[in-house]
Amino acid sequence: MLVLVAYPFFLSLYFSVSNVTVAGGEGGFAGLSHYQDLVGDEVFRKALWNSLSFTFLAEIGKAILGIGLAFLLLRHLPGKKIIRGFLMLPWTLPISLSLLSWRWMFDPQFSTINWALAHLHLMSPPYPDWRGDALWGYVAILTVNIWRGFPFSAVIVLAGLTSIPSDMYDAAKVDGAGFFRTWHYVITPMIAPIIFIGLIFDVTFTIGDLTIVYLLTNGGPGYATQIVPLLAFQTGIQGGNLSTGAAMALIFFPVLFVGVVFFLRLLIRRQAAT
Amino acid sequence: MSAVGSRTRPVNLRKLRRNVLVGLAFLFYLFIALIPIWWMVRATFVADYDLIDLTVNPFWFRQPLSLVHITYLFEHTRFLTWYGNTYLVAFCVVLITLVLCVPASYGLARLRFRGAEGIGIAVFMSYLIPPILLFLPLNQIVNNLLQLPNSKWAMVAVYPTFTVPFCLWLLIGFFKRVPIELEEAAVVDGASRWQAVWQVVLPLTVPGILTAAIFAFTLSMQDFLYALTFASSSSQKVLNTGVPTELIRGDLYFWGELMTAALLAGVPVAIVYNFFLDHFVEGITGALR
Repeated sequence: MLVLVAYPFFLSLYFSVSNVTVAGGEGGFAGLSHYQDLVGDEVFRKALWNSLSFTFLAEIGKAILGIGLAFLLLRHLPGKKIIRGFLMLPWTLPISLSLLSWRWMFDPQFSTINWALAHLHLMSPPYPDWRGDALWGYVAILTVNIWRGFPFSAVIVLAGLTSIPSDMYDAAKVDGAGFFRTWHYVITPMIAPIIFIGLIFDVTFTIGDLTIVYLLTNGGPGYATQIVPLLAFQTGIQGGNLSTGAAMALIFFPVLFVGVVFFLRLLIRRQAAT
Repeated sequence: MSAVGSRTRPVNLRKLRRNVLVGLAFLFYLFIALIPIWWMVRATFVADYDLIDLTVNPFWFRQPLSLVHITYLFEHTRFLTWYGNTYLVAFCVVLITLVLCVPASYGLARLRFRGAEGIGIAVFMSYLIPPILLFLPLNQIVNNLLQLPNSKWAMVAVYPTFTVPFCLWLLIGFFKRVPIELEEAAVVDGASRWQAVWQVVLPLTVPGILTAAIFAFTLSMQDFLYALTFASSSSQKVLNTGVPTELIRGDLYFWGELMTAALLAGVPVAIVYNFFLDHFVEGITGALR
């Protein structure tokens, strides 16, 4: 464990406060200067803002679609296992491969989305350029992210829902609670811990992932859809500037740390309760 | 009689309306989930002409279907090499993960000292450190320390950083479910501690070990960042990086071959993953039980 995760992690910390390049130059201690440079860097600020806003909006989208699907999957249905298998495909397919299909759907020339919308008379030329325009690029990335993640949210919410004993629902019904009151007073408190774990897991997963942006817009046009992981990759690996790249990636750590501390406290409180 | 009829009918109607609504909702979700995959399937089998003719309905086809994309993929690209690399890497990662995790998780599950619980939580926490924080130092380690620049073996060395924490966490849970009395009974009957573990405990945890193996397998087949960082020459690539980077040359897209490759590479992973999805969720949410 120490060798596998802790050592690289501290090496990363070391990189971020020194001057290391792929060429092997060890420029000595640089203090927090890389972080200071980043704060003043317009591209990085844009990437940070994109990363946070992408993740935030994507989580909302995934929550809405996921909760809806979870309630559907609670029902008895012939062939549910097979239907569920199909519904899980966005999550279970490797994203770098399913993205190819999205590239086709967002292609400037052959966009099937534009075709469908035009034939439904919902859109007329000029069609949006899904991968070359700042706003539409953002929308495209967000769409793919939500598409990819909603089955997972559904499964997590479902795990929460099925952990509630069914007599709790019956009791709420007998007491005359409607859907929203049941949701607020019975379901939410019971499933909150599980949802919370799922959320932490998914946020770290979403915020750290560069695949979608890399393959869809590569951060373009310009740096309009740039995100921190991709910028760190381009700076650290393609540009060979390990220190700046590491500093970029580590900016996220405080955010993750807060989430993890929350998680720990929750766990301890729960164990104390039982 | 008529009173009974008039009482049951509205109920049936309501039930019917409800079922129709549920059915429509399911169709809506299926449509969202499957539409990109449908385009993969379609592009695999239709002729090139149908793919680039803008007057053809992109949901369907006009020319006769063909298998030309599939044969091209196998005969003129490195697709098979990437396929081989992917499964070789995944297989080695599974082996390494199990060798590291099975003894360690048994130890952690049986130890009764203060802080054993803490180690368990720390293991889970380390799973939450995303690859993006580790890939730069790992790159240095792989290039300078292990001398594996640009090689598929670099992936074998690096993937355990995410498979080990998760599988360790999963296996601790499984080992804890085997009562320690079973082991003690075996020892009383004259077995050595080693025999007790090998012949009594391990057979009972086979399902858990199998689950961990499957997960190490699917997790390593889902990765993109490390594969992109550590193997850049064509012969060393795995499917996830080879297909999207090698089959697109500049602005030229071989759509038919691209989609075929994505379909053939992705579907086996998706199927295996799906069978074990419940265990995966249990592994994540189980932290609270």
